[in-house]
Amino acid sequence: MVKKCDAIVIGGGHNGLVCAAYLARAGKRALVLERREVLGGAALSEEVFPGFTFSVFSYVVSLLRPEIIRDLDLPRHGLHILPLESTLTPLPDGGHIAQWNDHDQNRHELARHSLRDAEAYDELGRLLHQMARAVRPLLGMLPPDPASLRVRDLASLARLGGHLRGLAPEHFHALHKLLTMSSADYLDEWFETEALKATKSASGIIGTMLGPRSPGTAYVLLHHYMGELDGVFRAWGFAKGGNGSVSAAIAAAARRFGAEIRTGAPVANVIVKGHRAVGVALESGEEIQAKVVVSGADPRRTFLDLLGPGQLPDDFVAAIRRFRFRGASGKVNLALAELPRFAGLPDAGPHLRGAISISPSVDYLERAYDEAKYGEFSRRPYLDIVIPSLLDPAMAPPGKHVMSIFAQYAPYALNGGWTDARREAFGDAVIDTITEYAPNLKGAILHRQVITPADIERTVGLTEGNIFQGELTLQQMFFFRPVPAWARYATPVPGLYQCGAGTHPGGGVMGASGRLAAQAILGEKA
Amino acid sequence: MSAHAIVIGAGANELVAAHYLARAGRKVTVIEAYTMHDAEGWIPPPIVRDLGLDGAGLKVGRADPWLTIPLPDGGRLALPQDVMQSAEAIRRVSPHDAERWPAFCARMASLARMLQTLYEAPPPDPTRGGLRERARQARLGLRLRGIGRKEIAELFRVLPMSVADWLDDWFETDALKGALGAAGIRHLRHGPRAGGTAFALLHRHVGEPPGVFRPATSNVMDALAKLPGIEIRRGVEISGIEVRAGTVAGVTLASGEHIAAPVVVSGLDPRRTLLDLVDPGWLDPELVRALRNIRSRGVSARVDVTVARAPGFAVLAVAPSLDFLERASDDAKYGRISREPYLEVRAGAPTVDGRYRLNVHVQYAPYALAEGDWDAARRSALGDMVVHSLAAHLSGGDDAVTERSVLTPRDLEGTAGWPEGQPHHAELALDQFLWMRPVPALARYRTPVAGLFLCGPAMHPGGGVGVAGAHATREILRR
Repeated sequence: MVKKCDAIVIGGGHNGLVCAAYLARAGKRALVLERREVLGGAALSEEVFPGFTFSVFSYVVSLLRPEIIRDLDLPRHGLHILPLESTLTPLPDGGHIAQWNDHDQNRHELARHSLRDAEAYDELGRLLHQMARAVRPLLGMLPPDPASLRVRDLASLARLGGHLRGLAPEHFHALHKLLTMSSADYLDEWFETEALKATKSASGIIGTMLGPRSPGTAYVLLHHYMGELDGVFRAWGFAKGGNGSVSAAIAAAARRFGAEIRTGAPVANVIVKGHRAVGVALESGEEIQAKVVVSGADPRRTFLDLLGPGQLPDDFVAAIRRFRFRGASGKVNLALAELPRFAGLPDAGPHLRGAISISPSVDYLERAYDEAKYGEFSRRPYLDIVIPSLLDPAMAPPGKHVMSIFAQYAPYALNGGWTDARREAFGDAVIDTITEYAPNLKGAILHRQVITPADIERTVGLTEGNIFQGELTLQQMFFFRPVPAWARYATPVPGLYQCGAGTHPGGGVMGASGRLAAQAILGEKA
Repeated sequence: MSAHAIVIGAGANELVAAHYLARAGRKVTVIEAYTMHDAEGWIPPPIVRDLGLDGAGLKVGRADPWLTIPLPDGGRLALPQDVMQSAEAIRRVSPHDAERWPAFCARMASLARMLQTLYEAPPPDPTRGGLRERARQARLGLRLRGIGRKEIAELFRVLPMSVADWLDDWFETDALKGALGAAGIRHLRHGPRAGGTAFALLHRHVGEPPGVFRPATSNVMDALAKLPGIEIRRGVEISGIEVRAGTVAGVTLASGEHIAAPVVVSGLDPRRTLLDLVDPGWLDPELVRALRNIRSRGVSARVDVTVARAPGFAVLAVAPSLDFLERASDDAKYGRISREPYLEVRAGAPTVDGRYRLNVHVQYAPYALAEGDWDAARRSALGDMVVHSLAAHLSGGDDAVTERSVLTPRDLEGTAGWPEGQPHHAELALDQFLWMRPVPALARYRTPVAGLFLCGPAMHPGGGVGVAGAHATREILRR
């Protein structure tokens, strides 16, 4: 043992960096160990092709907690969010439907398709806004253990119960519906325009092996309204310079508070002595001691790879083994010579500055899911497309563009496994799909990068390529994330904590897991 | 003519409600509105006791083996009621699954016990803060905790799961998972990979012995009809429920006859009761909207066949794997009849001429077809397909079946009053569960019309023989 510090954080993803920053801010000597040479985990910017910079994996900022932005003073460290103003859904018949952040523009556009939907949009918006307000405190709460009799858990449960009881009956019932319904069924109660229902319900399936008609997918609709509440920026936005600059800003803040960050330092295992985590061993053989070890890796890596066998109770190991990952999505990053031209729309209108969603109908999404259920990628996948170079021209050479395409479903467990040929076939399916709506796309491609769930797992270390470090389904949320009774960041090994998205509230470039983990550590060590 | 209480419908819930009301001193007239099918499922012991059903000749039958599963090699897996014996039967297929079977049965039993605790009383209403309601909820909470604190957390974890994930966590044998998973999708449009289907499996296990995942059958309908104390009028048609000054006044029959009563209890589905039979002017528009949003998608047909030879099973589940069920549901998702449907065959007692009646549940046969409608040709084609599929499982092959009759979801809507052919009236899903069943404003069996109550399967708990009827009377008599 050559070195000693207060806390080692395994993994320099955004949650690990947030955790380290908070620990350092509280005066702890924190050391972040990142396996790769670059920081950020899946929140990463990279010049993949000369002159073309991509947010290689995650590509938008939606839920980054405002208290983190404030506490870590991220704008001073270079974070600059550019708002996404719209979502465009092109239709197979050459038409389109768009949703705009601007209320009047949005109403006008929706009324073009259905007057009733334009009305319902406002009404649903008001309801979800109120619901988001009701649910938001849960995101910042340490989940209690419902089976525990400890005063802390009982008090926390009572607070949770009181919170739910405090809701107006209609909000309580709406929350029940959002938690248990499918997004398609829920939206059927509000809208009649297929493409609107499909585009909105797509948010419920992102990163999950469920179709839009499966119960449990409606909850995510709420997320879109939570970001807006924060008043800092709109629900969806780009980080200037790509999502790597989110990580870079957090890392800069962490360093300023005194944290040390090492890249190219892969951890081989957590060292346990006398049933307590006392440090880590690097793959280089170096050992580092610490009072506390915090893993930003997902639960399977943390408990099955970084810990040796026999250090955990059997039922805990069984619970980790059944925790579901099932990566369902991939990415295609394109360097473009020109912008795509969608049928019936001007070449470079404002519609290209927002998200472009290939989700013409709920049946379209269900068909995409059908193929994935039986181990094939969708031949006509759901796509969420952004062109960051329109908002941040520094991402591409002058006159040229970068296009980021999130594509689902691409099941991790592909029949026969992911090979180079299958990866390119998947890329072709994605490009062919867009070309149906924007015929010039194929000819405009200068370079392409196709990323499968297997690539995500290999590159970033996310098990089965799941972008949320584990499916965000009801049975894996809140006090079940990742294991019932172990949802408060501590683990059965004293001194070992978790801070990744595999813990509550998990998922997205949110940072909440990292912050709550730091609070749990500081609370117990204080 | 007048009565103290009118009960609309002559199903198990309605008859149980009628008898409880009669025992409370009401004069009760039951109006049979639809053809009733056999009631399946658990009968809560208090109902048997209160109504003296044993004295009325109640016989509950559970086949042993309770399920027969065809195997891919042509053999069959028969599951006896005894857990250890069924484990031994499973061992021939998979030692791994046999090892896990007893623990699975025990876990399912304890989870189902928790659901049963929730089902034994009208649903709690967490949005009501009254002392009485809070005390009720506290008692319920204590009873649940009594079953096990860890089990509460486990129940919350399992309910939203897909039945496929839940079974994959336990077993490896496709045939076993398919047959068990079928109970999780029965009467739902979803496939076994959809969330909330683990709840449906658990719901169907409530009240059944550990290790038995099919409901019991009984002659409860006969027993209920035989009990004295109520008048049942059969073969009449109801045309309206009269309301005066926001209070129910009675019912009108299609014949024009009017029956006055201060209490009307309807076992019909809430939409039919409130939107068709009551003048909608009495309802708040928000409630009308909520009623229209109740999901009641019917997905199954029923085919009755007669065969010449003994079938060699009591209940046969043709659901070879979870993927098989999922593919069958894929068709229904787009409004098509499954090309290879899930079949569940229940054998009846031999007839006087020595033949056997088989009742076949066919899923998916969606009520709303994407193309065309349920005409005679489609009904007949469905019958052909079922007879053909069945042939593989009966001795005598294609010639085994001598007679058949087909009830499509549309037929079941017309004859049994199941909205869209959905026997639960409101689909059994977590968003239509407890205080949400069928919609929050009606969860306590009362309607906005004073004196008009609901007691059908759309009401909590939506399962078990007569349970909703018993709860409804509790609310009526509380007035």
